[in-house]
Amino acid sequence: MPNRVKIKIAGESGAGLLSAGKITIRALRNKGLYVVADREYPSLIKGGHSCFRINAGRGKVHGLCSGFDVLMTLDKTSVVAYFDEINDNGIWVMGYERLEGLEEYIKKAKERGIQIFHLPARRISTEQGGNFLMQNMVILGMLWKALGFEYKFIENEVREEFADKPKLLEIDLRCLAAGYEGSFDGVPFAKRDGVNFGEMTDEISGERMILDGNDALVHGAVAAKCGAYFAYPMSPSSSILTYMAERAKETGIIVKQCEDEITVANMALGAMFMGMRSLLATSGGGYDLMTETVSLAGMIETPLVAIIAQRPGPATGLPTWTGQGDFNLAVYSAHGEFSRVVLAVSNAEDCYLMVQHALNLAEEFQIPVILLTEKQIAESLWTIDGFGEDPEIRRGLVKGEELAGLSNSDRYKITENGLSKRWAPGSSDAYYFANGDEHGEDGSLTEEADLAGRMYEKRLKKMAIIEAALPEPEVFGGEGGADISFVGWGSSKNVMLDVIEECREIGVKVNYLHFGYVFPLKKAVLKKFLDENKNVHVIEGNYTGQFANFVEGEMKFEFRGRLLKWNGRSFFVEEVLDYVNENKM
Amino acid sequence: MACCSTQIEELRDKMRSYQQWETGKKITWCGGCGNYSIQNAMKRALTLENLGRRDVVICYDVGCSGNGSDKIEAYTIHGLHGRVLPLAAGAAIGNRDIKVIATAGDGATFSEGVNHLVHAVRNDYPVVFIFHNNENYGLTTGQPSALTKKGVKMNSAPDGVAFDALNAADFVLSLKPSFVARSYSGDVDHMTDIFRAGIKHKGFSFIEVFQACPTYNRETPDDWYAERVRYVEELKDYDETDIWQARKLVEDLEKDIYLGIVYRNPKKQNFWEASGL
Repeated sequence: MPNRVKIKIAGESGAGLLSAGKITIRALRNKGLYVVADREYPSLIKGGHSCFRINAGRGKVHGLCSGFDVLMTLDKTSVVAYFDEINDNGIWVMGYERLEGLEEYIKKAKERGIQIFHLPARRISTEQGGNFLMQNMVILGMLWKALGFEYKFIENEVREEFADKPKLLEIDLRCLAAGYEGSFDGVPFAKRDGVNFGEMTDEISGERMILDGNDALVHGAVAAKCGAYFAYPMSPSSSILTYMAERAKETGIIVKQCEDEITVANMALGAMFMGMRSLLATSGGGYDLMTETVSLAGMIETPLVAIIAQRPGPATGLPTWTGQGDFNLAVYSAHGEFSRVVLAVSNAEDCYLMVQHALNLAEEFQIPVILLTEKQIAESLWTIDGFGEDPEIRRGLVKGEELAGLSNSDRYKITENGLSKRWAPGSSDAYYFANGDEHGEDGSLTEEADLAGRMYEKRLKKMAIIEAALPEPEVFGGEGGADISFVGWGSSKNVMLDVIEECREIGVKVNYLHFGYVFPLKKAVLKKFLDENKNVHVIEGNYTGQFANFVEGEMKFEFRGRLLKWNGRSFFVEEVLDYVNENKM
Repeated sequence: MACCSTQIEELRDKMRSYQQWETGKKITWCGGCGNYSIQNAMKRALTLENLGRRDVVICYDVGCSGNGSDKIEAYTIHGLHGRVLPLAAGAAIGNRDIKVIATAGDGATFSEGVNHLVHAVRNDYPVVFIFHNNENYGLTTGQPSALTKKGVKMNSAPDGVAFDALNAADFVLSLKPSFVARSYSGDVDHMTDIFRAGIKHKGFSFIEVFQACPTYNRETPDDWYAERVRYVEELKDYDETDIWQARKLVEDLEKDIYLGIVYRNPKKQNFWEASGL
């Protein structure tokens, strides 16, 4: 990948790497590069390891690579953990003072052509009048030099970061400069043969937004005129609550942290019942607790949108890592039978739009809608050129003069397509009973066989018009005749877009069918894709191939193979390329 | 407060608006069930507070009380067992202009969803909570609840309940509430007055109604209460804003059982005020 640089910043959790990583990302953005960065960390606050995996390129970067060109380490543990993943001829930026115990790595580096840029970062930071935490600035300067970009880009971002602490800023800048001016014998990455970033700007360009998936979801919720947000903290959904709370005053969204997830679901449903758009987010375990309420929403045909930020389970599982293991949970959860829609986002832009679509679908069809995101999407940082066009807000509520003409039995009227009118309590004289018990058209309880049967059917009949309203899956890399094809959902799209490009350059035709709307299954484009491609595989982040099993059952066919992963890490470009090599026709 | 002639007079003038709540549907509660009078008092209170169908949403839990959800001609929601308080709190947030009333029994409130009660009190959501205490699970045929008296033989406790009963009002008072009142299903007029006071309160109104269950609770029918109830108004020098007096007063559930508004904290900020919204 000659037009991409892969960086890993590693060190002890709580040592300030987060800000070093963010400064790097912003500086790369300002250099005109597209950036994707995933934060990898354990489920604790201080101690343990944490790192930033940053991929940046001139063209759009979607997925992440497993290897890296530049490793920046602050301690010995990071060296031991990540040294082997440095690409041959890569650069190892080392800020750890003592080299004792690292001899074997230095030897290996020499054997593999890895260039070492070593400075005692902590000593330098104290010499510059700073504390030991400012070693981050020294090593940040070293990293920037190793990358081969102009000093002003990183300097600008450090100034921005510490603008409100002028005294510290002065020391920080001295540390940064000391790192940048340190003596490095190797060739900086951008100046290497074969590295091609194309024409690069000398001007600082801060146009592209940098945000993570959860941040984008909040932007989308604001665009969708969400009125209330309910949550109980749970990784990796927690930052949605943080962002919502931070912006509550400005957006007017009522943000409530509740006592548990059951409360979250019931409060969100209560607000929706009254005609206020609401949202909730959690992870798989929290959603487990909400399922009875999801069933209630299905029964009383009241909209509910639940965001599940997936992490690998079962139980507490890997709270700070990623996966796609909750497809079945979203599709099959909650007792009884009722209509629902399940959506899955793939990146930040998608988060922004899909949450708006989720609210529209829930309100228009009076159903629970589950929006799946993943840790890798929720907390990865992305540079984006802007958000797509907002979809029109569709409330599905009776308005204006029509309210006066309603009768009580319009609310759950057994109609041809199963959809009846919905209006908010108090907006019409025509009151109704939103009854969790089986009911007749005005919501009055019934146990009478014929009526109960017809009402049950009404709720499920809606699926036909819902399915018709959903968009088809999207094809990438050409419609037919591929050497190998993939079907997938969620973050798989990111790695596939990069793989398609990589393979195009080496003359291998790869295409990919992406499902953003995973349930109910849209079949027309899928059928065509299966007809026009003979070597179709599935890619998804779980052990059992949940989506693959679902598609196979619905389409009565078998995928040629399954690329599955369940160890908490997202798919990396290299491993998909290996799979392509092994399985292409 | 136990006296009522003015209440009936006032209702007479508002007969048409009272009638809007009445249902022609067949009622499914047992004969003598306390739910008839509670629902009746609720209709009276709504009428006397000049609330119309567009002004109120009534949220029902699951159980015998929940079976009233379609027996009052109003906007209602019949949710999940034990979860009516968060549902009602969400509804109250969803539309501030509509009065939200929640009802639930002792099983739902003190077993399945007791956490919700704690946080509804703490958050002081603008919800009137009519807590139906018939001291058992009626709809599932008479199992003991956490409020069934110790030693009473119940379905699923053939040798008698082994553990002490909780005291609902005492528990709620320990949470620093803004409004706690008690009434009993043998006195519609009193319930009506208490419900009206609850409706007027801006925060979370906790109203415990000791409720007759003629089928499964033979220990404490209306007559049992009738002999024991006393009224807060009868007490000289009772300060309803003194939480320690209130806690002392509600302790006795055997001999002198006090009804009325036992505690009120006009200084407590309700959900909206405390949230700055």
